[in-house]
Amino acid sequence: MQEFDVLVIGGGAAGLRAAIAAKRAGASVALITKAHPLRTNSGLAQGGINAPLGKDDSPESFAADILAAGDGLCDRSVVQALAQDAVKEVVWLERMGVPFNRDGEGRIDRRSFGSNSRRRSCYTDDRTGFLVLQVLHEQFQRQGIPSFEEWFVTSLAVDAGACVGVTALGLRSGKLDGFAARAVVLATGGFTRMYLPSTVSIGTTGDGQALAFLAGARLLDMEMVQFHPTVFPKRQSLLVTEATLSEGAEIVNQKGEVIEKSKGMPRAQLCLSIAQASGNGDGGAFLDLKPIGKEKLLSRFPQTHELLRSVAGLDATKDLIPIHPVAHRPMGGIETNASGETSVPGLFAVGECACNGLNGAGRLAGNTLTEAVVFGRKVGEAAAAHVKSTASRNFPTSKLADEEKRFAAATGADSSSDTLGKVHAALGQLMNEKVGLTRDASGLEAALDGIKKLQDRYQKIRVRNPSRIFNYELTTYLEVGSMLTLAENVALCAHARTESRGAHRRTDFPDSDNNNWRNHTIVKRVQNSPQVEKKPVAS
Amino acid sequence: MKYAFYPGCVSRGGCPELYPSAVKVADKLGIELDELKSVGCTGAGVLPQNITDPINARTFAKAEQLGLPIMTICSTCTGVMAQANYRLKEDPNYRDKINREFLADEGLEYKGTTEVKHLLWVLFEDYGIERLQTLIRRPLKGLKVSPFYGCYLRRPPEAITPTKELNRRKAYLDELIGILGAEMADISGKGKCCGFPILSANEENSLAMVAKHTGESKEKGADFMVTPCPLCHLNLDGNQARAEAQTGKEIDLPILHLPQFVGLALGFDPSEMNLKRHIVSTTDVESKVNMIS
Amino acid sequence: MEVTYKVYRKDPEKDGKPGRANYAVDLLEGATVLDGLLKIRDEMDSSLAFRASCLRGNCGDCMVRINGGSRLTCVARVSAFTQKGPEISLDPLRNVPVIKDLVFDWDAFMWNKIKAIKPWLEAQEASSNGENIIPDAELKEVRKVMSCYHCGMCDEGCTVLPVDFHFLGPAALTKAYRFVFDPRDKETKERFKTLEGPKGIWDCVHCYEADEHCPRNLEPTKRIVALRDRAFQLGITNEKVARHHNSFAASVKESGWLDEGRLAVESEGLTNISGLMKLLPIAAKALMKGKAPIPYMHSKRPDADKIKKIFEKAEREEK
Repeated sequence: MQEFDVLVIGGGAAGLRAAIAAKRAGASVALITKAHPLRTNSGLAQGGINAPLGKDDSPESFAADILAAGDGLCDRSVVQALAQDAVKEVVWLERMGVPFNRDGEGRIDRRSFGSNSRRRSCYTDDRTGFLVLQVLHEQFQRQGIPSFEEWFVTSLAVDAGACVGVTALGLRSGKLDGFAARAVVLATGGFTRMYLPSTVSIGTTGDGQALAFLAGARLLDMEMVQFHPTVFPKRQSLLVTEATLSEGAEIVNQKGEVIEKSKGMPRAQLCLSIAQASGNGDGGAFLDLKPIGKEKLLSRFPQTHELLRSVAGLDATKDLIPIHPVAHRPMGGIETNASGETSVPGLFAVGECACNGLNGAGRLAGNTLTEAVVFGRKVGEAAAAHVKSTASRNFPTSKLADEEKRFAAATGADSSSDTLGKVHAALGQLMNEKVGLTRDASGLEAALDGIKKLQDRYQKIRVRNPSRIFNYELTTYLEVGSMLTLAENVALCAHARTESRGAHRRTDFPDSDNNNWRNHTIVKRVQNSPQVEKKPVAS
Repeated sequence: MKYAFYPGCVSRGGCPELYPSAVKVADKLGIELDELKSVGCTGAGVLPQNITDPINARTFAKAEQLGLPIMTICSTCTGVMAQANYRLKEDPNYRDKINREFLADEGLEYKGTTEVKHLLWVLFEDYGIERLQTLIRRPLKGLKVSPFYGCYLRRPPEAITPTKELNRRKAYLDELIGILGAEMADISGKGKCCGFPILSANEENSLAMVAKHTGESKEKGADFMVTPCPLCHLNLDGNQARAEAQTGKEIDLPILHLPQFVGLALGFDPSEMNLKRHIVSTTDVESKVNMIS
Repeated sequence: MEVTYKVYRKDPEKDGKPGRANYAVDLLEGATVLDGLLKIRDEMDSSLAFRASCLRGNCGDCMVRINGGSRLTCVARVSAFTQKGPEISLDPLRNVPVIKDLVFDWDAFMWNKIKAIKPWLEAQEASSNGENIIPDAELKEVRKVMSCYHCGMCDEGCTVLPVDFHFLGPAALTKAYRFVFDPRDKETKERFKTLEGPKGIWDCVHCYEADEHCPRNLEPTKRIVALRDRAFQLGITNEKVARHHNSFAASVKESGWLDEGRLAVESEGLTNISGLMKLLPIAAKALMKGKAPIPYMHSKRPDADKIKKIFEKAEREEK
């Protein structure tokens, strides 16, 4: 049994920022992460991190753009909190060593990105997420915070309705251990691996959201899933940063004719246009990076060029890149307030696994990293403050034994030919087709039915490998379970919202309905079943 | 076939058997050598680039004045110069700066046209293997030889093997062994480091590397190892006894310089190739060579 | 296409002895090596352990040896390895402790070594409220070096590591470069204390294997050389190396070329009796063979004064 004031689960950008903040606020902190921080999904972010640094910019303008992208579903005060603090956080990142690209005066340069009305996306070539993540990891190490890397959190420990810690499996040691804490901060990332294809790392399976949901926390706006417009859809689906559009890239058809004036368009709109072009039998949509100019392309987007070559076998300076929208990141997640508090006392959430009202129905391009660091700090500090005002509770003594029993029940011989991979593949296709870019009632009902069948199949599957050290079959089993739990919630909320707003497009309800739907969807677990409600948007 | 000859420091210092054997072999092959006498040490990877780039630029400028490519007999010289040459050729602004600040005083200017080649490369790229074969008087049949290039003759890629074609440089010594009639005892470490650069800083590791490479060669049944680098020779030959003492394993593997190896095949007597100078006895090699008539 | 994967196995929960398992698997054209591994684990042998994360060749996690050469399984196409026949071999990286199957110990191999060089910026005092004002040119190399995705190929190709596992290695030393050459870091002298210590920059043989291995052309060897050159300019703090390098520099400065005899003696140190005694046996043997350059009996080359001028000018410029 280990004991800390604050446990942060998830070693990506938000988790690292929260851990640093909690430590600096005086708490004893530990990080538990199933992937090494430098291997997390945050490292894939490319285009930029927003901050209203320009002379022509302001927190008010920034907030206005966020609200517009959120299409009426944002919490205004949370939006303003981000807009106010973005500059401070980005300057802190620079001082801590992020080598942002500079303008001619040596100041942090900013580029246009998505539907930002000003140039406010700070960047490091096209590896912004990776370099920000590295610096966060560097500062995390500087704080001397114990880091349990390649430990998989298997459950939240709850005592009298409050979260008192977690159980986790150490992959290297094979040991299942309990971690007691007065505050648990989930920073486990998104869930879009339930879609295939998707743009995310293999571990982006929504474990945090599933654990929180099963522990009684509420999830907000789960139907809001953002697709990324410019993704090379074959094989591993390679995301090409939208920032290329701001630097001159064009979206064209096979003949090279421009099919979309794409600069400054919000993502949801762009996705729909591209999907339409592909469906029209025009031979699909392509990204033409040549207008950027070879030199600029190689110096501004070196990683894009390299990955397109190694993953897709394409030369971005010569070839057209076939693109299609692909599932990217959720707006929805664990319901929290601006301090990251969930509906379960002692349980916090931040980053992509959380939904605090910032992103509404559509996330502004370039905001994910800003969100991770601004709220990472706020939530880390809030968790530390919570510790000061909370008495220590008891970690339930039977919890570890219960977990062992759960594993034992899931382990055994399995003579069927059904596998976790087949279930995942079926889920991925189902979500992409029926709960994807566009939805309708019958499709969503078919999806719910399909998910139910997959859940039944899952219940019958057994983990055949009884080992403990690096048992990826067991971790995959748990991850597929998380995705099935959340997929049902996504489909339910998508079915419930009978309008189109932001990223959620209903072909049977193509307009937005402000009379009935200036509301969030909430889903929570009531007697083992998910129940959907509405919650008005804070005004 | 004429070259500005750059023999380096060690070929007349710690490996004085190398210089005369190289000169004799070049003469036999008909390669004319115009020795660069008033030039400085390349720096050998020890001195920092802000000092060695100007010194090497000066050497290149002197060769340029003669209108001749440079030929070396040391992997380290070749590598250091190739890297410096790459920097000076690749960036005209940098070359201008070096010319202005260091060479102009003497009235020298490096225009960026000098080529630097090791004798090994000269044989394959300029001289021609067919021509070499016509001069072989004593094919070294029955001898098993391990190649050891010296890492500065193989890397970094942009300076040493900048084109697909020049990738072949990594196999020249292997090929040469066969061309001279011997059999290759291939070793995994043939392109690795001999340990010489860290002799001072970390003697233990340095000697471990000597033991590793010579040990492997001995296990493969080699009669001797051949190397184009006298610094490698200093460690592999000069420190072999210390390596044996460190690992407690006997090695006793003679190490030959490249020109000595070529010279024996061209018909020179072992005594003419100064084999007696080596620390690890070459008597066995000499008798084997003498038996081939 | 039908392919046989021949995979290294090792089970720490059984006998821990290395073995190999063969799996015949049917894959789509264009499948990656990782696709095959995932299929094997899902359908054939769920005990097979291997890592993967980003799936796009961007994070370095899935590094293994495929047919002997280190590659990322998530972007390596199976068809590229089955030219000679429908089989591929998978092994963990060389010279690294293996935990289970293809899962090896990244901590011992790399993460711990990076930690040892104090991998965070020690920022200068803030002069204003905003960001540091820096010309972009000063950050280009830092950005380049920070695109290192910790794949370990430089360490795996290193000449020294197989002989001395505790050498810090190119990955950690490149990370050190990132801080030493970042204009915002103030810890240079402190950093060099660590870097010039045992297992640090002076243990590198600068053989450029790391440069040849780096898939992102970050030139790790050149970064180590840059650190060594900077150490020389600041004054080498490692005493033995300082003696060696200063002696080398002195003889080239004075005579235009290297006095090896002097170098051998001065590296040990003129007052280091035990060190000098150690040299005696070799020196004696070398003397007998006529191979020992007598220290200080060293002729000046023609134009030695010109070489000296270059030294003096370069040294002035450093200041």
